[in-house]
Amino acid sequence: MKDANILNRNLELQVPEICVIKTARCYQNHMKENPDVMVKSKSQSWPNVIWGFFSTVKLTIVLLIILAIVSILGTLVPQEQGAAEFARRLNPAMLQIFTSLDLFDMYHSIWFRVLIGCLAMNLIICSIDRFPATWKRFSTRPEPDRTKPFDNLPPEQSFLVQGTLEETANRVNKLLQSRYKKIRKKEVDANRFFYGEKGGYSNFGVYLVHLSVLLILVGSLAGSFFGFDAYVNILEGEQIDTVMLRKTMNPLKLEFTVRCDKFTVEFYENGAPKEYRSDLSFLVKGKEVAKESLLVNHPAEFMGVTFYQASYGSAPGKTVRVKVSRNTAQPTVTDMKVEAGKSIALPGGEGAFKVIDVRGDIMKMGPAVLISVQSNQGKPVDFWVFKHGEMVLKMLPEPMLKSPKFNPSAFKPYTFFLDGLETKYYTGLQVNRDPGVSIVWIGCFLMIAGLFVTFFLSHNRIWVHLLKTDKGVKISAAGTANRNPVGLERELEHLTRDLKGLFGKKG
Amino acid sequence: MLNSIIFSYTTFVYFAAFMFYLLAMVMNREILARIGTVASLIGLLAQTVAIILRWVESYTLGVGHAPFSNLYESLVFFAWTIMLLYMIVEWRTKNRTFGTFVTPLAFLAMAYASFSPNISSHIQPLIPALKSNWLISHVITCFFGYAAFALSFGFSLMYLLKRLDNQKRNNIFLQLIPGRSILDDLNYQMIVVGFLMLTLGIITGSVWAHSAWGTYWSWDPKETWSLITWLIYASVIHSRMVRGWKGKKIAILSIIGFACVLFTYFGVNYLAGLHSYAK
Repeated sequence: MKDANILNRNLELQVPEICVIKTARCYQNHMKENPDVMVKSKSQSWPNVIWGFFSTVKLTIVLLIILAIVSILGTLVPQEQGAAEFARRLNPAMLQIFTSLDLFDMYHSIWFRVLIGCLAMNLIICSIDRFPATWKRFSTRPEPDRTKPFDNLPPEQSFLVQGTLEETANRVNKLLQSRYKKIRKKEVDANRFFYGEKGGYSNFGVYLVHLSVLLILVGSLAGSFFGFDAYVNILEGEQIDTVMLRKTMNPLKLEFTVRCDKFTVEFYENGAPKEYRSDLSFLVKGKEVAKESLLVNHPAEFMGVTFYQASYGSAPGKTVRVKVSRNTAQPTVTDMKVEAGKSIALPGGEGAFKVIDVRGDIMKMGPAVLISVQSNQGKPVDFWVFKHGEMVLKMLPEPMLKSPKFNPSAFKPYTFFLDGLETKYYTGLQVNRDPGVSIVWIGCFLMIAGLFVTFFLSHNRIWVHLLKTDKGVKISAAGTANRNPVGLERELEHLTRDLKGLFGKKG
Repeated sequence: MLNSIIFSYTTFVYFAAFMFYLLAMVMNREILARIGTVASLIGLLAQTVAIILRWVESYTLGVGHAPFSNLYESLVFFAWTIMLLYMIVEWRTKNRTFGTFVTPLAFLAMAYASFSPNISSHIQPLIPALKSNWLISHVITCFFGYAAFALSFGFSLMYLLKRLDNQKRNNIFLQLIPGRSILDDLNYQMIVVGFLMLTLGIITGSVWAHSAWGTYWSWDPKETWSLITWLIYASVIHSRMVRGWKGKKIAILSIIGFACVLFTYFGVNYLAGLHSYAK
């Protein structure tokens, strides 16, 4: 069979009749000719040199393969989050090489983007360079009296009918008009020639594919320039208006507030997770505007920002249980449920205390709270109270033990004990704005359409020849196609069958 | 479970089909190849029934989902797509020698699924990330792509073998392999189908990733390897369409491309990533 060579300008200029004439299939050895010949014959001024460099398909193939190879590298070297541990195992010289080449975040490095930029450039210039030839293929209407397509015509594609030449020509013309575009006719003595074609637009399929690649690249650039990629954890019942940007780790303030009303996680019997669900409320200037239930695969959008269920966890809430012991002649012990931040009077009335920080786990020594006691006169005394106080005593280094910061009895005559923290679920949300995503989807759609046109449709050119003979009018049909010779064969079969049908002959 | 019993029988049926196709070529007996076709059809039919049974069974277990959710189910589906595409090619070309090179791939996929101790054949409930309507379209497009590339790999091997054929050697096996231009043409057709399907598979995957994780592309190893595969086949298509490469070069590139497909499918499991449920 043959190849589709829609892109090869040289070929199209040198051999206007590409492709296959039915049964006489030409193998295109001439395709091996260097497509750069014409480019190189231009004067060697800089713009031409650059144009020449970017207009070869050789470059395309080289770039595609280079991109494939460096992408492999990126899957072998751990990227971003995973990179730290890998980096520790490298010796300093190697580490230097890896970091200077941005190998730990390869896909966002300058050189990777330059490669993609080169591919885009190559694609644009190749397309512009070859467009005139494609346009010519699309718009030219070959002479109807060509004989070459009829070389080696199989006998089943010509047949005799009775009737006058004029009448036969009229009927054939009518059939061709209804089926093909760009019909041309020619009358020479006892000959009537017709030309018609189908699927000329399939020449542009490849441009659609190239445009789609560019659109996807533009869409992803738009996303990285005008969008953001952030995350936030929200405790059940709490609200936030600031999210953390992943790239820079800087906070970003939203134009609205998000509250997590409820977080639920369900499990299957075998313990695998079944569903994560966050019930969110969106508030603008303190007023609740919308409510959404967030599930994995079911994101929620509000004011152009999209929220995705990404993770969950538990964290200490605001309520802590403490025991306050007053060590006097008659010691008293009071159990209290305290909300962080609220000032509580001491049992003996010497002042008040409040919990100013709650940690689920501090220095791997378990839960702890920071308590600040304000006596009726004097400065406040701040100290940490651990849940596992005795164990911590053994673990803490000497200087810390002496510091009042770690002494639960720092405010005399009291000793504080931490009984427990109330824990709460938090929902981990991915927060994005990506204005480029619709461009990417349009690109994807065009790519599929373009590939379909490029691979499966073809530009079929059809010639029909009528010749008046002694025995009647001889009708023959032949054609060429830019690709898919099987499709052309079928086309010609149908045409011959219908032409025969026109004159009451059985196909 | 009934479906996995049928699947393990199917494995043997595909092996039998392979043996018949192979013997037909070695002994030059057309009748054996016909038996091979019958065996392939029986296997394909039984496998289709078993896939439907498994689908139904998952609903009776209360975890109803399409049977495309783990390595076992994907291997079974891979074998199914290979056999389906192969049957279409055999029917269109009326040539049974392709079976010798294609059925062993389906057999290997089934054997790996059925007999590897690391692969569980149990129907598992879907984790939240997999609960999406995109699951079916993503898996179907990807695996038809993989299967087309698998066939192209088989045709490439045949092409390279056929090159050894000459009058002096007078080897029946080699003589029975169809002509080089037919192989080259079929090879390219499969690459084109596979490329379109792979493109669709990557796109459906991105749309899904966008709704599940908030990003349509995150350079996860599986994503990256599918892109690598895509780039390799894109260069094959360009080198053929524009530069006119044919025959041996295309056959070798197609074998490299299929190696990338296999790595995208299996090798990536050894790298950490978001597709870990497919292990």
